[in-house]
Amino acid sequence: MAEKEYQRLTWSRRRPGVAITVTRASLWLGKDHLLYVETNRYSFSESYKRFYFRDVQAITICRTSMRTVATIILSVLGALLLLIGFAAQDTGALITFAVLAVVLCLIPLIINLALGPSCKAQIRTAVQTEDLPITRVRTAHKIFARIRPLIAAVQGQLSSEEIPTRMMQLSAAASAPVFPASVAAAPAPLVIDDPNAPPRIV
Amino acid sequence: MNSALLQCPKCRGPLLEGVFNRQDPAPCPNCRTPVQVEVFPAFFRKIDSGPGAEAVMVEGESSCFYHPQKKAIIPCAACGRFLCALCDCELNGQHLCPVCLDTGRTKGKIKGLQNRRTLHGDVALALAFYPLIIPYLTFITAPMALYVAIRHWNSAQSLVRPRTKARCLLAIVVASIQILGWIILILFIFNRRSHG
Repeated sequence: MAEKEYQRLTWSRRRPGVAITVTRASLWLGKDHLLYVETNRYSFSESYKRFYFRDVQAITICRTSMRTVATIILSVLGALLLLIGFAAQDTGALITFAVLAVVLCLIPLIINLALGPSCKAQIRTAVQTEDLPITRVRTAHKIFARIRPLIAAVQGQLSSEEIPTRMMQLSAAASAPVFPASVAAAPAPLVIDDPNAPPRIV
Repeated sequence: MNSALLQCPKCRGPLLEGVFNRQDPAPCPNCRTPVQVEVFPAFFRKIDSGPGAEAVMVEGESSCFYHPQKKAIIPCAACGRFLCALCDCELNGQHLCPVCLDTGRTKGKIKGLQNRRTLHGDVALALAFYPLIIPYLTFITAPMALYVAIRHWNSAQSLVRPRTKARCLLAIVVASIQILGWIILILFIFNRRSHG
């Protein structure tokens, strides 16, 4: 069986950074790049963005409060459903609302808590900073542990001790004045034929 | 040269090197959100300016097809035109001219440049199945599904999903059954009218 060209890193999820969307995004691992796939179910199309390992400058993982917010919402909703069930004073209604509370709230709540802290992940290259379809810290660590050696194989390793030195060099280079070529070039040789006339450029 | 500093994804404030490449998350200096940043050597890499094209110095010397005053250094691997250093677009070891590069991208011949694909199998499947909600629509959509599935039988599908023709095949089968159903219905009505 032929080796697959791409390996899936994440399952399709809502496109990052957009609350309501018909586009689903997923991340795939290629031989020398990461492939970000956006699938639009309405236009039946896929669009791709490639992040070559040689171009990856930085990866950022930032904790978010999505997990906490989801926990609160599910807990409140579950409590409300149970409250309605008790208020109905009917065994049938109580069982119905209890089942609803379990299916719609308790199970998702358990899953939400089990998946661990939520996060937002970004990848940066020289020309773009892109949000990745990764919403959990655990998943992010797993994926980046997988791609880190691939990036290091192409770019080399960078120890944390080297970073301050490199940052200083970067700042120094960025603040160095840049002269236009016409100023930096040597002045043209002048010849004075007549002291009363302007000099002639040779 | 690398420009902007890294920004916190939440507050967009600058992240200082104190938070880079640490084992554990560190608080953002601005919003105190736990952030984990890993930088790679490419972050410090100077972006070199592209090579300049040399002018043609000797009469009769090969010149670039697009810049006749510039010296040709390499032919295009696709069309054979001579290219100067400016026009030479190297991609995966191949040297192409800008026109061939653009053609390859728009026609999907250069896979590494493809950034969009239409999922014709999904289109055919949708045309075959969705109109079943209102069956009368299948009179129009079934032939459309059949056409799309056959026309794009060999077209490239998703870049990442397995390359099977299962979707097109299923669309052909379902559309064919729908068309057959319509034919039988029309014949039945026609027969009934001619006998009635």
